[in-house]
Amino acid sequence: MSEKKARSHKAEKVIERLGQKLSRQIAGSMVACVHCGMCTESCHYVLANPGDPTYAPAYKADKIRKLFKRHYDWTGRFFPWWVKAGSVYTDADLEELKDTVFGKCTNCRRCSLNCPMGVDLASFNRMARGLLVSVGVMPEGVAVVSKDQWEIGNQMGVLKEDYLETLEWMAEELQDELDDPQADIPVDKTDCEVVYSINPREVKYDPRSISDAAKIFHFAGENWTMPSEGWDMTNFGLFSGDDDLGGAVARRLYEKVSELRGKKLVISECGHGYRSTRCEGPNWAKQDVPFEMESSVLTMLRYVKEGRIKVDKTRNTTSVTFHDSCNNARSCGLTEEPRELLNLVCTDFREMTPNRAENYCCTGGGGAMSMSEYTPRRLKSGKVKADQLKATGAKVVVTSCHNCVDGLADVIRHYKLDMEVTQLVNLVANALVIPEKAAPSAEEKVAQEKVAALESAKPVALPLADLKFVVADDEPDQLAFLSTVFEDYGATVVTATNGDETLETVRREKPDLLTLDLEMPGLNVGDVFETLRKDPELEDLKVCIITGRPELRKLIYDRSVRVPEGYLDKPVTEETLLLTVRKILGIHEHET
Amino acid sequence: MPEALSQQKPIEKRIDGSTVRLVCADVTEADVDAFVFYAQPDLKLGSGFGTAISVRGGPSVQKELDELGPIQTGEVVVSGAGNLKAKFIIHALGPRFNEEDTEGKLRTTVINSLKAAEEKGVTRIALPPMGAGFYTVPLDLCARVMIEAIQDYLQGETKIEEVLICAGDRREFKPFAARLA
Repeated sequence: MSEKKARSHKAEKVIERLGQKLSRQIAGSMVACVHCGMCTESCHYVLANPGDPTYAPAYKADKIRKLFKRHYDWTGRFFPWWVKAGSVYTDADLEELKDTVFGKCTNCRRCSLNCPMGVDLASFNRMARGLLVSVGVMPEGVAVVSKDQWEIGNQMGVLKEDYLETLEWMAEELQDELDDPQADIPVDKTDCEVVYSINPREVKYDPRSISDAAKIFHFAGENWTMPSEGWDMTNFGLFSGDDDLGGAVARRLYEKVSELRGKKLVISECGHGYRSTRCEGPNWAKQDVPFEMESSVLTMLRYVKEGRIKVDKTRNTTSVTFHDSCNNARSCGLTEEPRELLNLVCTDFREMTPNRAENYCCTGGGGAMSMSEYTPRRLKSGKVKADQLKATGAKVVVTSCHNCVDGLADVIRHYKLDMEVTQLVNLVANALVIPEKAAPSAEEKVAQEKVAALESAKPVALPLADLKFVVADDEPDQLAFLSTVFEDYGATVVTATNGDETLETVRREKPDLLTLDLEMPGLNVGDVFETLRKDPELEDLKVCIITGRPELRKLIYDRSVRVPEGYLDKPVTEETLLLTVRKILGIHEHET
Repeated sequence: MPEALSQQKPIEKRIDGSTVRLVCADVTEADVDAFVFYAQPDLKLGSGFGTAISVRGGPSVQKELDELGPIQTGEVVVSGAGNLKAKFIIHALGPRFNEEDTEGKLRTTVINSLKAAEEKGVTRIALPPMGAGFYTVPLDLCARVMIEAIQDYLQGETKIEEVLICAGDRREFKPFAARLA
C-alpha cells in the first residue's frame, strides 16, 4: 500500500543508492541489533539528554535500518509491519533523517565498542550521510567544507599562495628564533626520508604547530620536506560519507608523495586525518600505497628514544591530562605511544577516566564543528567531557587531533573550565634541549660583547610600537585581555563594545588594525564590517575577526567586499594572537 | 613515478579551426579571456572555486553578481573577473546532486556557456570538469558530455580559438584525456 505513495526524486535516489552501498559489514550491522540497550549508556548524547530516547544509538540506527528492511531484506519486503520496516517518500523525510545522522551522532564509535552483537552504527550512519550528500541534503557547513576540499584541495579553502607564504613565514620565524639559517621548511624536495603532511587548520589558525614540527625535524637531523600540493592529510569524505571525495583526497596525497619519491609520509596530529590517510584512504582511492605512513606522534617518540632529539621534561611542569581522539584510539588503536611520549616530555601527567578506547568524544567528531545549526546540542552533550576534564584537576589537556583541539576548546569555554588545550608537538618542541653552538674564539667573544653592550644601551623596541588598534568586543574579559596584550607590546589601543561604537571609533581613529568580535549589540557587525570596507578613507584598514561563534562567519564572508585579513577562534592565546597580528601587519620576529 | 601535476603534458585536439587543450591547472588562474564557474542558483560565490574568485579576484565579482541572480538550471550570466587574469567569468548553473536529466542539462549548460562567451567576444575560454566532484556529476559522464558539446559547438560558426579544460588532478585528467586521445 505504502509503496504506491509517490516518492520524490531525491528520496528515490537515496533508496536506489542504498543498495549500492551495502557491504557485508553494513548488512551485518543492519540485521544484528537485538535492541538490548547496551549501547544506550555509552553515548555522550544520551548521557547529556537522559529523558530523550531519540539520542539512543539503537533508535538512531533504526531510522536507517528501517530503509534497509523495507527495500533490501525479505522480511521487511513481505511483512513490513512485523519488522518495523519503513521508507522515505518526501524531501521532508530526508531532512528529518539528516537531523539524526548529522545532528545527533558524531560517529565516535563508542556505542559500537559496547555492542555485544558487533553492530557498527558509525559505519552505517556514515553511509546514510553519504546517501543524503549525494542528493544535496546536508548541513550548510558540510557543503562549504566539502566544496573547498573538492575544488581547492583542502578543507579550509587555503589557497596555494597562502599556504606557501605561511610555510615561508614560519621558516623565517624559526631561523630568527634559532639564529640559524639552516633551520628551514623545505618544500617539494625529492628523495626525502619524510614527507610531512598537515591539517589546513594549522595554516589558518595554528601556524606555530608547523614551526614546532619543523624545529623537531631540524634538531633530529631529518631529511624532510613538505609538499606544495596534496598537502592536506585531512579528509572530509570520512565525515560526509562521500567515498568519492575520500578517494580523490587520498589519491592527491599519495600521488604527491610518490612524485617526490618520499620514503615515508608523516601525518601531523589529527585523528580523522590519520584514520583517513593511513587506514581508509587506500580503500577509497582503490590503490596500494608504495610508502610507509605514520603518525607524527610515533615519529617524535622514535626521535626521543633513538636519541636523535634530547628533551627536558622539567620545561613542561604544568599538570596535563590526555584526551584520546576517537579516530586515533577507537578506530586506529593509537593509545600507548602518546602516553609514552607525554611521560617523556612532561612532569605531571594525570590520566583521564575513562580513557583510551573508552574515552568520550570531544563533541567535535564527525565534522560536528562545521555544523553550526547543531551547536547547542553539541555543547549540551559536552557536559560529559567537561566533567571528565574537571575531574583530572589538570591545567592543560593534550590531544593529538585538531578537531579535538577545537571541540575541547569549545567545551572548556562553555563550561568555564580553567584549562588550556595543546598538542604533543607543542610540548615536545618546548621540551627540546637545543644543542649549544661551538664556543666562539676570543676575538669573536670580544666582538659579541661589544655588540651586546651597544644593543643593551638601545631602548627596547616593542613589536607593536607606533601602531594603533581598535579592539571591538562586548565581553569585558576579552576586551581587557586583548587590550593588555596589545598595549604590553607597545600598541595604542582604543576599545569599542557595540556595533555603532565600532563604526564611529574606527572612522575617528583610523587604526592600523581592527579586531572584531562577530556578536555584539547595536548595529549588525556584518553591516559594520561592510560599511568600513566601503569607506575610501579606510582602504588600508586591516581586520582580524576574533569570534567564539564560528557559525557567524557568514555575516562577514558572504559580502561582496574584501575578506578580513585574519581570523581567530576564541579562546585566543597570547602567542597565537601576536603571531596572527604580526602576520597580518607583516612584522617579523627579528624586527621586534 | 608520476610527473608533477603542473608538468603534466597537455593534450590537444584540433576541431575545425579551434583547439581543445586539456591541462592540469587551477581554472581560476588560467590565462584566458574567460573561464566558467559552476554557480549556485543565488549566485553567491561561496566556497571552493568561489573562495579563489573572491580572494584573488576581489569583491567586485560578487558585487556584480548581487544584481544578476537568481538563475535557473542551464542558465548562465557573465561578470567581470576583478583582479584575475581573465576578463570575464561565465557563471553557469548546471545540474546538481543527481538531479533528473543530468546529461541533458549539462549539455545545455556547456553550450550556453560557450555562447555567452562568444557574445562577449571571447576567443580563449577555460572550463573545469563541470559539475564533477562536489555536485556529483559522474566524471566519465562529465567528460563525455563536455567533449561532445564542445566539439559540436566548435564545428559550427565560431570565433572561439581555444577551449582549455582545466583538470584539478590526475583523476579528473584521465577521462578527458581518454576522450581527446
